[in-house]
Amino acid sequence: MSNIGDGVGRETPVTDFRSMSKVSVGQILGLVEAVDEVGGVADAATIAREVDMDIDRLGPILGAAEFLGLVTVEDGDIRITDLSRKLLMASVRERKKIIREIIDDLPTFRLVMDMARNAGTPLGRQEVVQALADRVGSHQAEDVFKALVYWGRYAELVRYDSESEQLTVRVAPT
Amino acid sequence: MGDAQPLLQVKDVSKSYFDNGKEFKILDRIRFELAEHDFVCVVGPSGCGKSTLLRIIVGLDTPTSGEVLFEGHPIRADNPQVAMVFQSFALFPWLTVAQNVELGLEALHEDPAKRRAVAKKFIDAVGLTGFENAYPRELSGGMKQRVGIARALAIEPLLLCMDEPFSSLDALTAQNLRDEILQLWSNPDLPPEAVLMVTHSIEEAVYLADRVIVLSSRPGRMVAELEIDLPRPRNRKDPEFYGWVDEIYSLIV
Amino acid sequence: MRGLRGRLRILAVALIVIGIGTAIVFPDAARAAATLPILALFSVLRMVAAYLLSLLFAISYGHTAATNRRAATVMLPVMDILQSIPILGFFPFVLLFFVNGPLGDPVGIETAAVFLIFTSMAWNMAFGVYESITTLPQDLDQAARGFGLHGWLRFRLLAFPAMVPKLVYNSILSWTNGWFFLVASEIITTPRASYIRPGLGSFIYLAGQRGDLGGIAIGIAALATVVLLLDIFLWRPTSVWSERFRIETTAAGERPSLHVPSPYERLRWLPRFPRLRREVARRIQPLLDGYARSSSKLDRVYSSHRRVIRAVRRADIGMFVVIFVIVVATGLIGLVGFFQRPLPPGARDLPIAAAFSFSRLLLAYLTALAWTIPAAAWLGRSKWAARFVTPAFEISASIPATALQPLIIGFAVVVTMGGYFAGEIGAYLVSLFAMQWYLLFNLIAGVRSIPGDLDEAARGFGLRGRTYWRRLLLPALVPSLATGSITAWGAGWNALIVAEYLQFGQSVFSVTGLGASLYGATVVTGDYAMGYLTVLTMTAVVLILNKLLWRPIYKRAAVKYRMEV
Repeated sequence: MSNIGDGVGRETPVTDFRSMSKVSVGQILGLVEAVDEVGGVADAATIAREVDMDIDRLGPILGAAEFLGLVTVEDGDIRITDLSRKLLMASVRERKKIIREIIDDLPTFRLVMDMARNAGTPLGRQEVVQALADRVGSHQAEDVFKALVYWGRYAELVRYDSESEQLTVRVAPT
Repeated sequence: MGDAQPLLQVKDVSKSYFDNGKEFKILDRIRFELAEHDFVCVVGPSGCGKSTLLRIIVGLDTPTSGEVLFEGHPIRADNPQVAMVFQSFALFPWLTVAQNVELGLEALHEDPAKRRAVAKKFIDAVGLTGFENAYPRELSGGMKQRVGIARALAIEPLLLCMDEPFSSLDALTAQNLRDEILQLWSNPDLPPEAVLMVTHSIEEAVYLADRVIVLSSRPGRMVAELEIDLPRPRNRKDPEFYGWVDEIYSLIV
Repeated sequence: MRGLRGRLRILAVALIVIGIGTAIVFPDAARAAATLPILALFSVLRMVAAYLLSLLFAISYGHTAATNRRAATVMLPVMDILQSIPILGFFPFVLLFFVNGPLGDPVGIETAAVFLIFTSMAWNMAFGVYESITTLPQDLDQAARGFGLHGWLRFRLLAFPAMVPKLVYNSILSWTNGWFFLVASEIITTPRASYIRPGLGSFIYLAGQRGDLGGIAIGIAALATVVLLLDIFLWRPTSVWSERFRIETTAAGERPSLHVPSPYERLRWLPRFPRLRREVARRIQPLLDGYARSSSKLDRVYSSHRRVIRAVRRADIGMFVVIFVIVVATGLIGLVGFFQRPLPPGARDLPIAAAFSFSRLLLAYLTALAWTIPAAAWLGRSKWAARFVTPAFEISASIPATALQPLIIGFAVVVTMGGYFAGEIGAYLVSLFAMQWYLLFNLIAGVRSIPGDLDEAARGFGLRGRTYWRRLLLPALVPSLATGSITAWGAGWNALIVAEYLQFGQSVFSVTGLGASLYGATVVTGDYAMGYLTVLTMTAVVLILNKLLWRPIYKRAAVKYRMEV
């Protein structure tokens, strides 16, 4: 999963989306900033020491950042990509737009978005989890769903109501 | 904007607790001023009474002697010109993000339509659009503190007070949020006019502030008031940056 | 969930079988049973009325005690005493007041019944409200102050939501207490007349008077069914719902969680009527809007008339203090009156009666301990037991001891063949049934709260048998034992009042004790001075035991044996 790009047309294993359920936007942006501050390349161990996180906690963040195409990891070196340089220069609102473009292309996300659009009515949590379970297995489905809602909300692609447990597609954000 | 009157005047504020007739002094004659466009950090070791000082400044606590003037008048806790951000976020768990942000507006009896519009603006400013109807338990720590910041900004205060706003967050999230705070601060269209922040992290103070007030421990006394004249954006790996951090360290130890 | 559904089905089948069986064996009872639904409705309505009153009272009393330091110095001790005294003992006097008052029968009687239930429900709820507000995290309180939330707005957005979890938890306790008193409140006897209000409690009582075992069984089954249905369809979902109002203590919180258990999750198989619900939601939307509008209007009125409201509140508290002083003064004057007149002749026997009553309760308590500790040790750890045995106990515990009373005395009569000891055994068993469940369920919770690794460590070091019990299990159970004991003794004293004077068919079984003495004085002879003295003795005994025995034990247990988690 070390193929890098600008987030377009990548073939990634669906299960990787699960790693995103354990990390937040702030952590990924913070990681990119930390690497940028030391010149764009850093040793993973140094970063771990600097931010006072052991590899158990930094690992998923690194994984997710790599998955989104924001860093590359090779032989323990973290390197930021052009995409993340763009992200660093951007304002809070533009950052959401950049992340939205990345997220929108992920197959797992696509699947659910298509489901929601085709349904025309709000999707129940159970329905979505069921559909996800068919692809990633039932014990990962909950995590993937969580990641989907969190990142989908952040990217302003989905709306989720935890009271009624219903997911809807947000109308074309600008 | 002129230099007629400072926004905030802290005049010889002292605070003591009394236990069995014994006096425990925690703050000793703190004196400083804050003008518009100031970003001031109060830094000191734990036990220097900096959180108490902040609560006295916003009117949630009273000084044993001395006074705090805001725009020349004694401060009141519910002054809508001053807003507070808490270390523990202090979000109401039974209210959604939007309802939490509207809290201060509701107390000001704004009508619902205006409330919603203002809340929307500040939710967007801190990057929380999409999470309006989420409850705090559905958010990560960084997102929660964004709600705290949006709630404080929504009443469009002149002075924003922050009590260790990043110390409940992990290092990555904290750094990201610091940068976003600076982004908000540099936007002239958004409140506040001045920021007063309390922190125990010297690095954080040097990274953010124009001016750093250094307190000693037990009782908290002002040791120094330093103008940090580093250009922004600051780099924490810069030798000059480290020069400032080292200087403040030597003042406290 | 399947487990609950299965349990419900077993329960339903069992009830139907028992019902058909008894209908065949006792055709008269079956005819009487046809009236049960309407009787149940009456009983539930009485409970609901008392509960709503308690809710209102608890919120205003607890909130005032928590926010007004001066008022709290009076309100807290009052609440503490009223919570621990045997309220049932005062019932005859309350009754006198309501029956002889302008309301009369039936309104006065019903009011008295509701009032009795109210007094058994209100205090722990008020304490819950008080605790929720005094333990509000400082930051939340300061945020509310800093953002200018005052008065109604503060109550609506902060104080009320914060009290929901404890209010719901205590409501469930209060309903359990309430059922106990409901049964006692539906049959009201004074020396001059007997009043019987229609309800499940009086149904059971009347069956007992007839010596009609089938009737008693049907009545008890009906009562248990009502209690369990309310528990399953009302209280468990409410308790799940109340979790949303719990305040996290850790600042950053753990992983964000999207999924909040829905109140009716375990009852998913129920028909949900989506269209009807949407229709109802649409209909009540204007109401909700109206509430929001009037609420914000109220906020504005409140903030513009702050001085007036403060004055009203002060007057309110003042009135409470005045009423309280009057009540205390009348009590004291009455007490002085006693010592000026010669004491009633029976007064000399009161210390002996107290000793008898205490021994009876002690015996019941020790019996309860002897079986609940081993039972809890087993039930708390075995998964199988938790699934099949604990529910059975829960069903048994849902029947208030007051309702079991006719059945118990019937049993005692059969065992002793009608001898004097029938009364003794009956009183002892009623007390046992009133006390044991509090111990059992507290102890089970205690066993469950023993950290798994502690248990493993103990076993790993070879602690077995006696040593295991002495070194780990018993010390670990001390806190829950203390809590359970306090509640158990409270319930025991109340039970004693109805347990020492039992009636089965035509025979009356009375034993030496404070409960019997009270009954004799207020119901049989009408010697109210004697009755008053008996209640005072009982109250004194209870308060002394509480202050000198339970509180110190509880305090020490809380410090010494707490499990840090």
